Amino acid sequence: MLMRTMLTFVFRFKFALLLAVFPMQNAQAQDTLEVSGSITTPDGAPIPFANVLVKDTDTGTSADMDGNYSITASSDAILVFSYVGFGTEEIPVNNQTVIHVQLKEDVAALDEVVVVGYGTQQKKDLTSAISIVKSDQIQKRQTTTIAESLQGLAPGVNVRGGGRPGQEARIEIRGLKNLQSANPLYVIDGLITTANRDFNPNDIESVQILKDAAAAAIYGSRAANGVVIITTKKGRSGPLKVSASSKMSLTEVPRYDLAGQEEFVRLNNMAYDNAGLSRQELDLNVNTDWQKEVFRTGLIQDHNVSFSGGGDNSSYFISTNYFGNKGTVISTDFDRVSLRVNTSGRKGIFSVGENLALSNSKTEETGAPEAFRGNPFIDVIRLFPTIPVYDDENPGGYGYGKQGVANTFAANPVAIANLIDRKTENFRIRGNLWAEIDPFPFLKYRFNFGYETSFDDYLYLRREGNWTLNQPYEPSFTNQNKAQSETKLLENTLTFDQEFGKHHITLVAGTTYQKNNYEQINGTKRNLLVNPNTGEYFDVLDLGDQGIVGGFRNESTLISYLGRLEYNYDDRYLLNAVLRRDGSSKFSDENKWSNFPSVSLGWRLNNESFFRSETISDLKLRASYGELGSGDIPDYQYIGLINTFGAIALGDGQTLYPSATQVRLANSQLRWETLKQTNIGIDLGLFDNRLQLTADYFIARTENVLFEFPILLTTGNDGGSPLINAATVENRGFEFNAAYNQVVNDDLSFNASLNLSTLRNELISLGSGLNESIQGNTITRSGEPVGMWYVLQTDGLFQSQEEIDNYTNSQGQVIMPDAQPGDIRFKDVNDDGQITNKDKTVVESPWPDFEMGFNAGVQYKDFDFSMNWIGSFGATVYNGFRSIVDRFDDDSNYRSGIQPWTPENPDTNFPRVVKGTTLNARGDSDRWLENGSFARLKYIGIGYNVPTELLGKIGFDRARISLSAQNIITITRYNGLDPEFSNNDIFQRGVDFGSFPNVKTYSLGIEFGF
Amino acid sequence: MKKLLIISTVICTLFAVTSCQKDELDLKNPNALTTDQFWVTPDDAEKGVNAIYAMFYKDGLWARWVYFRLDLTSDEGFSQSPWVELADWTRFGYINYNFWEGNSVTWRDTYKAIFRANQVLANVPDIEFSDENRKQQLLGEAKFLRALHYYYAGVLWENVPLVLEPSKPDDLHPQNTKEEVFAQVEQDLTEAFAALPEAWDAAQTGRPTKGAAKAMLAKLYMQQHRWEDAKSTLEYLIKGEGAMYSLVDHYEDNFTHLNENNSESVYEIQFGDQRRGGTGEGQDASVSTTRAQFFAPRGIGWSDGQARFWLVNAFKQEQTSDGKIDERLRYSLFYPDLFKDFGDKIYGRDWEWGDQEAWFRKYQRDYYRENEDYYSEVNFRLIRYADVLLRYAEVLNELGMTSDAYQYVDMVRARANMAPLATAYPGIGNNREAFLNRLKTERVLELSGESVRWEDLKRWGDLEDQASVDEIAERDPDFENFEVGKHLRLPIPQVEVENNPNLEQNPGY
Repeated sequence: MLMRTMLTFVFRFKFALLLAVFPMQNAQAQDTLEVSGSITTPDGAPIPFANVLVKDTDTGTSADMDGNYSITASSDAILVFSYVGFGTEEIPVNNQTVIHVQLKEDVAALDEVVVVGYGTQQKKDLTSAISIVKSDQIQKRQTTTIAESLQGLAPGVNVRGGGRPGQEARIEIRGLKNLQSANPLYVIDGLITTANRDFNPNDIESVQILKDAAAAAIYGSRAANGVVIITTKKGRSGPLKVSASSKMSLTEVPRYDLAGQEEFVRLNNMAYDNAGLSRQELDLNVNTDWQKEVFRTGLIQDHNVSFSGGGDNSSYFISTNYFGNKGTVISTDFDRVSLRVNTSGRKGIFSVGENLALSNSKTEETGAPEAFRGNPFIDVIRLFPTIPVYDDENPGGYGYGKQGVANTFAANPVAIANLIDRKTENFRIRGNLWAEIDPFPFLKYRFNFGYETSFDDYLYLRREGNWTLNQPYEPSFTNQNKAQSETKLLENTLTFDQEFGKHHITLVAGTTYQKNNYEQINGTKRNLLVNPNTGEYFDVLDLGDQGIVGGFRNESTLISYLGRLEYNYDDRYLLNAVLRRDGSSKFSDENKWSNFPSVSLGWRLNNESFFRSETISDLKLRASYGELGSGDIPDYQYIGLINTFGAIALGDGQTLYPSATQVRLANSQLRWETLKQTNIGIDLGLFDNRLQLTADYFIARTENVLFEFPILLTTGNDGGSPLINAATVENRGFEFNAAYNQVVNDDLSFNASLNLSTLRNELISLGSGLNESIQGNTITRSGEPVGMWYVLQTDGLFQSQEEIDNYTNSQGQVIMPDAQPGDIRFKDVNDDGQITNKDKTVVESPWPDFEMGFNAGVQYKDFDFSMNWIGSFGATVYNGFRSIVDRFDDDSNYRSGIQPWTPENPDTNFPRVVKGTTLNARGDSDRWLENGSFARLKYIGIGYNVPTELLGKIGFDRARISLSAQNIITITRYNGLDPEFSNNDIFQRGVDFGSFPNVKTYSLGIEFGF
Repeated sequence: MKKLLIISTVICTLFAVTSCQKDELDLKNPNALTTDQFWVTPDDAEKGVNAIYAMFYKDGLWARWVYFRLDLTSDEGFSQSPWVELADWTRFGYINYNFWEGNSVTWRDTYKAIFRANQVLANVPDIEFSDENRKQQLLGEAKFLRALHYYYAGVLWENVPLVLEPSKPDDLHPQNTKEEVFAQVEQDLTEAFAALPEAWDAAQTGRPTKGAAKAMLAKLYMQQHRWEDAKSTLEYLIKGEGAMYSLVDHYEDNFTHLNENNSESVYEIQFGDQRRGGTGEGQDASVSTTRAQFFAPRGIGWSDGQARFWLVNAFKQEQTSDGKIDERLRYSLFYPDLFKDFGDKIYGRDWEWGDQEAWFRKYQRDYYRENEDYYSEVNFRLIRYADVLLRYAEVLNELGMTSDAYQYVDMVRARANMAPLATAYPGIGNNREAFLNRLKTERVLELSGESVRWEDLKRWGDLEDQASVDEIAERDPDFENFEVGKHLRLPIPQVEVENNPNLEQNPGY
């Protein structure tokens, strides 16, 4: 409370102060001039729409079609001329009223301004590992979230998407550094937030990815996974500019190659015959293609309109967007409408601005809760072609398994789609308001207030009816919740920037305060009434019985102090040092505060006097070391709680008595997790920077990793393992990026870039006295990467009884006496004469050896062409699809064209099929592991820019038509649906079990501006 | 001058935040009681003890899967579940030791119950009570329940860690032997006996009595073959201070919700159907058993467990003194001739299943409904007096007092209208072995499907040599998979062995 009062006071006081400043500044205003001139290339060709900016102000304009400009500036101002693809020129006004400028074509934008967090730097002055992604690269793809758009564009940034409407891609910067969440910190226009699906990627102006600790250190405690800084578009001075774009995309989900009815029946009967069981009475009158019933062609629409402009001292940018994604699976849908308003204004030393985005998104998902959950990508392969979609004999009228007729527990996705509604709606307001005062040229104070709130609605409606065999009767019910999240951010920073001869010093100091709240109320009602008018259930929480209500409230606070020193000596020696101190409410009292320092150095060799080279135009060496924290954990984790929900029945009347106890253990010693990262890098520009090379090597070691490590069941813990600070994880990696740009002539230019990343992940220690942890088919042990495959090894098939009898250990003991010809031979690794869990060994790694991206583009006259390839090589993955359809002990549909072992067909690697025995089917063998390497054409597109002569007639400035496709070519030997699957279980990242695959997308887009 | 003012103001605001950091970072959980707010009042102690009882309602224990371990794994029951792994775990097909439903959940829930008991035993002694007697009772209840769960852990896995203090996340509990576990059970039960009352008032029925503690203790002693100790312990219930039990007139009253906590009940798990929140820890968590849903015949329930047909034949070996079929068959099993023999339909249906199939009828609710669900309210009679009597007979026989033992078997037989044992089987005489053999059958006829068979087989040593296992396999082919020396106990969940350097997997696994 005290805090709030304090801040309100400060806030009010500041406004009063600012009001007082205005008149004073007016009086001091300098003489202003109207400056005009033309902007041309060295050949004298005009550069239309080139930018003109008064240095250190927001005043700017752009040239007209003929490269002519006019701008108001003070007599001692400096004008900055720039345009995409050209170098920047700075010319002092010096009382001139006419200034003509020639801009050199500049393919290596070394003067590019990079947002580094609480400030900007020029690219040439960077001493840490930062990747920059241009907005046109991002916006040409059709994606839901920004993360997907970054795929393949920057080294060390691993992105895995998925095709579910509204699915948020997983992004991992420089490997798995902790075990909580790999998501980086997103900073949108200074607001610390998440760039989730509520954010419209069309609004992006630029993206910078801070990869090493020195770069990210200014964001301290939340930066361990890297930082993605997003700057949204701003208006430029000039008349209203309207630009509109519209993109329509068709999407297709990849499909399994499954057996048809006849092949299914033959194989299923074979499995029962081999087991000596009587065959199922399969219904041969039914022939269902489940994929046809469940999958469909999806449609994505993305319509965007923006308005921008401004005067000499102000700017505005307004955009609206509709994004709709009708999913490729029935009953999946995502819709978003969003609005953004960015404005800024300046008066003398005072400037103020805001960025505000409103969005409303709705998602419809498929799937049932808990044990009877239906995943359509699993169910379509477990359902038989002989099961009908509809069956009046079943409650609800849908077909599914039946004992003796169709022995499967698969859920009918059509039934789930119709019986269950699962809808989420979020209304989000996200924005910030900032004010700056720069009383002296060398000093700037900035106040930033960020605010984000989201109103979330969730509705789950379950109609009566069944979707799977052996499903208990469940009455209709609805479960709903309403929630609000709120984040408040207050930041004060002071920037000092001054040159003393060859010394250039920038100092930033500041404080930040962030408060997060989340509140939810929820309720459930059963036995809903049917509305006679609609025939549907009343889905409000009023009608029905057995009501349950609940709710909770979470709060957290983060307070930080930060400071940064940037020092540049003669453009040769660069130094950056950052210190940040963070306090978080999430940790126990003695562990709330921690310091995160970093330092980085750069040496620009090409500016040394001894350095003479015709070919090398830029050469910089960089080194950095930094410590970052991570505390992205749920609230109140260090406090043990009492569960008071239970009750017991006692007494002759079986009266209910309440119970209460601690169910989940808590760790009172929780503290910050720390990432220590060292980075060395080199930047090299050749041939006037037409070829640019960047290479980085890093070692990132995370200590006291926070994780809900599975603790012993003998602790009696339930409700999730408590968080502990346990493991130490190390990632070492090499990143390389080469970019080549060439402008051949006015009509032709091309560019190509290649990036490559390698990553070696290693668990240094597990903590808690443990050496290893086994999760599913993976083992995580000291000295090896996290989540290595730990399974039984297969060694071909037994061809005869003789081979079985001769398969003995060193003592002559027959290892698999129960096997029959055609069964899998497993390796008896520990030579104990039997196959047990002790024979499991580490066989392969789920981590790729290297990943790469290749991007190329050509511009010829009015046409442009570009493509992006991504590739991942050397990972071993678990094919969940095959582990279901090839097992045969439990019925499912099968792969088309398999050739199981039979005495007549011994020349095969597919074992004998047997119903009911897990011998050949066990899930913990290397039978299901496959090479997960792939290369994929992520994007390919061509665009046509309608020539300006044509456009002039209809009053347009710009018009463009584009055709593109995504994910259409994949080169892989993997047998599952999609080698680019994602699994959020960090230990089982290589398990592809029903992941929603990436969809093939075909898009047509038009854009125009006037 | 003014600029200076601005700058100084700015610098002040920059650091204004500091003044209130302490309060801002010290956020208390607004959603639940915390552990340091609890365990203060006698009411907290009551609720804490109740929470141990609530463990009876969990999947791994007496709401579901423990019956798979005790009834279906024994030769009385088996599984034809289409869920192959589930069925495999009733026929010694233990492949994945982490199989949740077959193993890990029962292990986990056992220790959940123990954790709750340990919380009570650690915290309640410090709570001030105006009624000191009640405090001692509560501690006695906690000890009884901890002993009960350790007893079954000892029967199922044998070599389990003894956890006797509230757990911490990084505990790595050392392993104990079956003997050590049983010694702790003995100690807890002995202390519980001292603290518990002889009876509870009607509102508290379901809490253990002195008699219940003695009966558990007798089970333990018998499992350890401590026959003398077992004898004196059982005598407390049969002829000593605790002799307050009698057989109810109607055998079926032991398996329905209509005559619960009757005179035959020594310890009974209380179930109700008032709450429908499932078997977790959420709001409205249920207080029911789901056994009936899992054991009901195909088309009515899941039929994941059913009875071996030899049981039907066993009942038909001997007729009642008036020449009829033993009525206990009627209330023990669903079988093809049920309607012909006794005129009962199966949940209102004619027999529509295999002619060599049978299901357990005890605790099923066909006596008043035509279907089952997850919310059965029928109490489970963990120990009833008939069991106590047959145990006493067994103990006397083991001590060479066979002739004394007859009368107790006859009490049980008499209710079923069976002739006295000596009349029906005059050949037994005082032959210890013959008497024991007959007693084995008597226990099946009286107690089939009541979760005692697995401990009986273990106690009798029938699982320890191949010849007797072969004999069992004739009744229950699942025992063809049984490996002597290995399958006597369950494998310990593999994750526990792997994550706890102090824990060894059971021999043979």
